Amino acid sequence: MSESDNYVLLMVGISKAFPGVQALDHVDFTLKKGEIHCLIGENGAGKSTLIKVLTGVDHPDSGTIILDGNEVQVKSPQHAQTLGISTVYQEINLCMNLSVAEDILLGREPRNKAGGIDLAKMNTEAADVLDRLLGIDIDVTKPLNSFTVAIQQMVAIARALYVSSAKILILDEPTSSLDANETQQLFKVMSKLKEDGVGIIFITHFIGQVYEISDRITVLRNGKLVGTFETASLSRLELITKMIGRSLDELEKMVKVKLDSSINAESEAILQAKGLGRAGAIAPFDLELHTGEVVGLAGLLGSGRTEIAALLFGSDKPDSGTITVNGKPVQDHSPLGSIKRGIALCPEDRKAAGIVDDLTVRENIMLAIQANRGWFNFLSTQEQYDLADRYIELLNIATPSPDQPVKNLSGGNQQKVILARWLAANPQVLILDEPTRGIDVGTKAEIQKLVLSLAEEGKACVFISSELEEVIRVCNRIAVLRERQKVAEFSGEIDEKTIMHAIAESES
Amino acid sequence: MTQRINAFISKNRRFIPVTVTAVLVFVAYGIGAFLFPAMRNPQVFLNLFSNNAYLLISAIGMTLVILTGGIDLSVSGVVALTTVASAALLRAGWNAWAVIPLMLLMGMCLGSIMGSFITFMKVQPFIATLAGMWFARGMCFFISDDAIAIENRTWSILGETRILIPGLTELAVKQGNPAPYISIFVVVAFILLGAVMYMAHFRRFGRTVYAIGGNEGRNEQSARLMGLSVNSTKLLVYTFNGFCSALAGICWSVFVSSGHGLYASGFELDVIASVVIGGTMLTGGAGYVFGTLFGVMVYGVTQILIQFIGSLSSWWTRIVIGLLMLIFIGVQSLLAAQKEGRQKVLDEQAQAALRRRRWAYAFGGAAVLLIAVLAVNLVPPLLGSGQMATAESGQCEVAPFREAEVADLIQGGAVIAYHRAGGTRCVDELYAVYPDGRAVASADGQQIESQVDPTDLEKILITISDDYGWFTDNMYSTWHNPCRTCYSHYLAISYNKKEKSVTAVDGGVDMQPEYGYTLSIIRPILPKFTQAQ
Amino acid sequence: MRMTKSSFTLRKVTESRLFFPLLAFALIMLADFLLIPGFFTFQTRDGNLYGSLIDIFRNGSIVALLAIGMTLVIATGGVDLSVGATMAIVASVAALLMNPYVLGKELSPQTLSLILDPHFTWQPLWVVLLVTLLVAIVCGLWNGLLVAYARIQPMVATLILMIAGRGIAQLITNGVRIQIFYEPYSIIGQGWFILPFSLYLVIIVYVLTWLFTRKTAVGMFIESVGINARSSFFSGISERRIKLLAYTFCGFCAGIAGLVASSNIRTSDANNIGWGLELDAILAVVIGGTSMTGGRFSILASIIGAIVMQAVTTSMYAIGVPAFALGAIKGVVVILVILLYSEQVKRFFQNIAAERKETQP
Repeated sequence: MSESDNYVLLMVGISKAFPGVQALDHVDFTLKKGEIHCLIGENGAGKSTLIKVLTGVDHPDSGTIILDGNEVQVKSPQHAQTLGISTVYQEINLCMNLSVAEDILLGREPRNKAGGIDLAKMNTEAADVLDRLLGIDIDVTKPLNSFTVAIQQMVAIARALYVSSAKILILDEPTSSLDANETQQLFKVMSKLKEDGVGIIFITHFIGQVYEISDRITVLRNGKLVGTFETASLSRLELITKMIGRSLDELEKMVKVKLDSSINAESEAILQAKGLGRAGAIAPFDLELHTGEVVGLAGLLGSGRTEIAALLFGSDKPDSGTITVNGKPVQDHSPLGSIKRGIALCPEDRKAAGIVDDLTVRENIMLAIQANRGWFNFLSTQEQYDLADRYIELLNIATPSPDQPVKNLSGGNQQKVILARWLAANPQVLILDEPTRGIDVGTKAEIQKLVLSLAEEGKACVFISSELEEVIRVCNRIAVLRERQKVAEFSGEIDEKTIMHAIAESES
Repeated sequence: MTQRINAFISKNRRFIPVTVTAVLVFVAYGIGAFLFPAMRNPQVFLNLFSNNAYLLISAIGMTLVILTGGIDLSVSGVVALTTVASAALLRAGWNAWAVIPLMLLMGMCLGSIMGSFITFMKVQPFIATLAGMWFARGMCFFISDDAIAIENRTWSILGETRILIPGLTELAVKQGNPAPYISIFVVVAFILLGAVMYMAHFRRFGRTVYAIGGNEGRNEQSARLMGLSVNSTKLLVYTFNGFCSALAGICWSVFVSSGHGLYASGFELDVIASVVIGGTMLTGGAGYVFGTLFGVMVYGVTQILIQFIGSLSSWWTRIVIGLLMLIFIGVQSLLAAQKEGRQKVLDEQAQAALRRRRWAYAFGGAAVLLIAVLAVNLVPPLLGSGQMATAESGQCEVAPFREAEVADLIQGGAVIAYHRAGGTRCVDELYAVYPDGRAVASADGQQIESQVDPTDLEKILITISDDYGWFTDNMYSTWHNPCRTCYSHYLAISYNKKEKSVTAVDGGVDMQPEYGYTLSIIRPILPKFTQAQ
Repeated sequence: MRMTKSSFTLRKVTESRLFFPLLAFALIMLADFLLIPGFFTFQTRDGNLYGSLIDIFRNGSIVALLAIGMTLVIATGGVDLSVGATMAIVASVAALLMNPYVLGKELSPQTLSLILDPHFTWQPLWVVLLVTLLVAIVCGLWNGLLVAYARIQPMVATLILMIAGRGIAQLITNGVRIQIFYEPYSIIGQGWFILPFSLYLVIIVYVLTWLFTRKTAVGMFIESVGINARSSFFSGISERRIKLLAYTFCGFCAGIAGLVASSNIRTSDANNIGWGLELDAILAVVIGGTSMTGGRFSILASIIGAIVMQAVTTSMYAIGVPAFALGAIKGVVVILVILLYSEQVKRFFQNIAAERKETQP
């Protein structure tokens, strides 16, 4: 069919399983020549796995890849490059201290008669590549780290294209570190490449950009393909729904969930944030937390939820605004200060910012309490084991003993250990950032129940999750964020539709 | 105008450290020439290179290693091993022109072994090269305990050849001065410098070296992803440094016309300091080989200045070099803080704060150090501790034990034969005590005698033999790197048809108490030289 | 779940941090027993115990002291190369405080006899000890500030004091090796109360350190920071203060080691005291099983590591290996130990162990 000639890439029925999770389940993906195709989905949707399969980092359990009409097995990243598949990651994979010209050409540098590198030729060639392929003009003799991230990305793209006669260019979250102008620059380059016939896979979480630049959109969710659509014929709301919500029909059928608001007139505000903001992270916002309530932060990836959590907890310092806790304004923004004031944060990245993997369950649990007590007021051995036992039982942590190193526990149990750590510190405010991510269904339910019971005890909770359904079920109030701004706040009877509208910024 | 200057600076920001060093060299030398007329003699300037040729050679290789983000602590061991091995081979009659390539090959082998451990077994560079240093020094002593003199014609020629500088010769002759010259190794060093500079900038090998270092190892990952042959480059870099160390060792052995396992002690620190002061960051990835030349020159100028000032001892060199290193590392960290790989708008404030903090610490630290140094220097005289001694910490040549002479003395009937070397006055004394109580001592051509009561002598011998167990296995030779003003002892006792000689050195913990007791009962009966010890 | 009582199983023994170093020590002792007759004999004299085994402990006490401080630094993921230089500075200060009349010039007979008097000291012993240990703490603080607050790489930061420190030590004594005649001072290194005094010193410092790290939260915080500084930050632990503490303490231990060393040779030898010992200390810690990337540590294991290294040295001497070859053997031993502890080998053993372990819940 002449149709298939247009397709530079066909991925059919790709499946990939990792221990405990089906990362991809019979996913199809196609890419036409000279198109910008957006691959979108929340965390855990399977985007990165699909890309890893395409670039040879992982091998699929089943399915076929057809490149330019020929079936291929991508054996390794180097092989992918020779096949014409180039990738530019969010973290620039170039050597920062080399010059731009070298970063583009190294490995294929032009030689002079003596066999040495012909510097002049390399510089002119690099400048030529940048101009021809991307239409930009910079001093190629300067080292890469003297340029902004935007330019560094361009150089990375240039190398990717130069090194392989790229048919497919994969851009993984390229705009995360760019400002508006730089994003426009990038889009100009992408358009040029599109004209030249390169097929571009554009992975992003910025909905606005999706609509600005892409021709088609593929939505993944929980490892399954939701669908591939023409951008022009998909409204934002429909897109959001496909990403995180149930279908509109399903929604119509659902009974509206009434959020149980246990706030009575006397409940005070424990924490008040006014105009709190941090440049580049989150625009100034207001937020109040009352005893006995659960406040949810809803929004897409990158909308600023984690940044709000960080500001409330003090792990990031604000540029503007104030926080008041129990009526007193906060001066020292630091985790220890927050702990002393009774604010706790369960961070999003369990591995990097949560567990201390070589320490035991017992030690992990007692860490925050001990930090609060200082260096010398050490919990006695009996107290430590009592503490550990209590929470192991309370949270049903599956571990042979409290002296098991935390790294040996499953993800769900690790999360429980971190929860235990913060519960043990007896905070007034508990901020939970994606507490149920990557956890089995049973544990998820346990954690949700726990949050509700904490609110009943009189604590204030902040609950952040990408799963709307969860947020709605657990929270009394929901703040909606979009692109690093708080855009709405709902309480009382809320339904998914309303929230998704808020995220999609469309009329209901 | 200022705009253009700013643009120029920002375009060439990476050359700042090298420029600073170069300027430092010439300013320092200029100040020296101003204060000390003797420094205006061009020969003094040229000696800067001749005297530090081995440092330059070694530093060139080290620069490449540090650029990859590694480090090589074995250079001093390889240098020492080269001196000893070449001296031994030359003494055995080998041709000098066979010895030199063999030594270079040996250096390369050692380098490649360490490089393999670092590259393939993922051993940390400073541990692997440290082990290499111990191993190399140990091998020195396998070859020979004592220093071996070199009396080879080729070696002498290499050492004494003067290469005249065109242009300066006529000038000097006119003034009636000897023509200024440099040694042959300076030429070798500069050829090496040129070659490595070429490699560093015009060959993929050199660019890969740069690509590997810096950015906390992320650059290395990127380099691999870019398809560069990281492993072979790393291996080659350490092999090449082994070559440079061996070459420096040959230069050293020519310089001192001998070989000994104790040479080049602490050399690796001087080399690393030269590289750092030359503008290369210890974290790798940034720096210029050309800068190392200036780093070496800084080291040399410091030494010359200290020599000329005269009242400061040579160990001031170490302090100054340490201070300079601090300043340079501080400057480097500051420049690096602005070049972090991921520059997010978020981090700008944090980076600015970090930058300010680093400025504060670098300069605050340098100021504190300077004040401390000055204070300690000035306070003792204020406390009236009397005479400020200007005694130089004498640097004794390590004297080999006079084993043969001691053996002869025993043959000749002595019951105690004792050779002592070192000490604050760099002595080299030979003692012998005979059964009739006659005690003879010789040193520096002097010979003195004294008399001991034979019964006392007998008692001493009994004590040494029975109470201190001289002839048992509990008394064994020990040796460690002798401090420059420690005594080293070689004591032979002949008693009751038993003979045994044992060595030991002061200044350490491994000398056995019994040896000390033995010395303490022998020394009173020995004749004393007139100068107070 | 109930707290499981510690059970003495074979696996507990082999997995203990002390296993490898103790095994190494046992092997060396075995070799000594077989190869060197009379190695394990003890003699008594004046009520004090002597013997080759005692020598090992005595001679290894300096590195053991260094290793105690070095363990904490390495546990935070850093390293301190300046401990040898700190020893030299401390020795110089100590000597100066006891004998500020610098030798080298002609001194009047009265001054001379005063100095040579073993009961004379310019400052009382307690002042000497106090000042020198303060100086040592300052050295450690310096390193700690550079590493924790200025965020300079530990190897680079401590290299500075390593180079400059010896010069500073020389500066303090004006380049002269000051001899110490004050008798009570020599007890530190040469005293003997049944067993060598330095051995008691190691034990005392070890016990104090153990109390300080295990009976307070400090040990756990150090491990936490070494394993995952970011998680520790989120839990409210100050990475900067912990690292500052570690380096300061390391300086303090180096100070004590410096007192022992200078007491041994009764002089301040700025050039040579502690030369190369920083590397011995690091090796002792590595043999003791503390990972160089930081994390779990065991001070006792490091001390055993120091003893192991000294045992190798002493045994080599006693066997009759030419003393100079010791360096070469040390080099080979280092490599073997590192390889043994390296990831590949560890994984190999783990795979064997995993086959016998029951599956985790």
